[in-house]
Amino acid sequence: MFSGLTSGEEERDNLAHGQMVIIAARWILVTVGLVLALWNPEQMGELQVSILLILGLAAANFFLHSRVLTGQPVSPQVVYLASAADIAVISLVLMVGGGFDTIPYVFYFPALLALSVAFPTRMTALFAGSTIAIYGLVSVATAGAGEASTVFTQTLMLAAVAVCGNVYWRVERDRRHRTVSREAAPPDAMEGSRTS
Amino acid sequence: MANVNMVEQDAAEDIFFGQSVINWARWFLIGGGMVLVLWAADSIGQLVIGTIPVVAMMAINFYLHGRQLAGKPANPTLITLSSLLDMSVITLVVLFWPDPEQRGLASPFFVMYYPAVLAFSFVMRPKFSIAYTLVTLVAYGGACLLTSSYVGVLASAEGTFDAETLVARLVTLGAVGSLGTYYWRIQRDRRRAAATSSGTPAAAR
Repeated sequence: MFSGLTSGEEERDNLAHGQMVIIAARWILVTVGLVLALWNPEQMGELQVSILLILGLAAANFFLHSRVLTGQPVSPQVVYLASAADIAVISLVLMVGGGFDTIPYVFYFPALLALSVAFPTRMTALFAGSTIAIYGLVSVATAGAGEASTVFTQTLMLAAVAVCGNVYWRVERDRRHRTVSREAAPPDAMEGSRTS
Repeated sequence: MANVNMVEQDAAEDIFFGQSVINWARWFLIGGGMVLVLWAADSIGQLVIGTIPVVAMMAINFYLHGRQLAGKPANPTLITLSSLLDMSVITLVVLFWPDPEQRGLASPFFVMYYPAVLAFSFVMRPKFSIAYTLVTLVAYGGACLLTSSYVGVLASAEGTFDAETLVARLVTLGAVGSLGTYYWRIQRDRRRAAATSSGTPAAAR
């Protein structure tokens, strides 16, 4: 199955499998985002923008999910565009809600995790770097002078989630290659994983 | 019997190959913790108290990462214990940080739960990773409640409680653990499919 794949085909195969994680993450974002938007809203304009963005995301996710369920391929460009939209929506809601250290910040974590296990390393780096840059800029504009360490740590943890996701993506890719080429990890080392 | 051995082999490979993710996650926790402690400490006391857990985590990760590099990776028990220690350290810092204004829900250290939960869910079997995620949620939720003005056991005069913020953090933390486990299952199925198509013994798993 994998031994006959070219690198481009394998990338699409990885994307197809990881896409389910992205779709699941997006349903979580939509559900929780909507509940939180409707929870004790303070400003009419803020609520209108949030509902519009979240429902737009839900409609797009329904389209993508239905294509996956019916076995129709989704082009990589559409998957990348949808993930970019996720990051953009979270960032917009964050900016509308006040910027630094507001509730929407934590939604970056499942979004970055999902794309880091679906995309190749260069795309994960691009998306994670852009997200960190956006949040960093928003924080610089809205945080107080004494919050620099918190901003730094928050962006570092966003990077941590993306790095861990992609390290695992690479680990699993290599394991599949080993399975196909019938190579195993050193038996003595594997023994250590059980008993030492 | 052969299938049992194959399942054990699969779990051992999960640990063998996957623990580098936990080591990476812990280096990020150490880096972030060190920055927060060095940057945010207002007094020598805060600096000393904050440095101790960071140094302890660093020592643990040197040991575990060193073992992995030497080809002698940790077993599941050691990985679970070290991950529980990570979670305990973060929770203790959230609970008892010297500055009362930065405890509980106001603590900036809560972000460190995310990579810790994610890395554990990538490596361990679902029943363990789900349990770890739940324990983390209870620990953080409990810490926020204990330091809030609602419960007030460890509350400061500034102790406030914002249920909306807490729910958002708990749900996204739970989502990260769940999505990690979901991806773990997808990858396990892909490996089995690859083994089946290539005719290796792993197909029997």
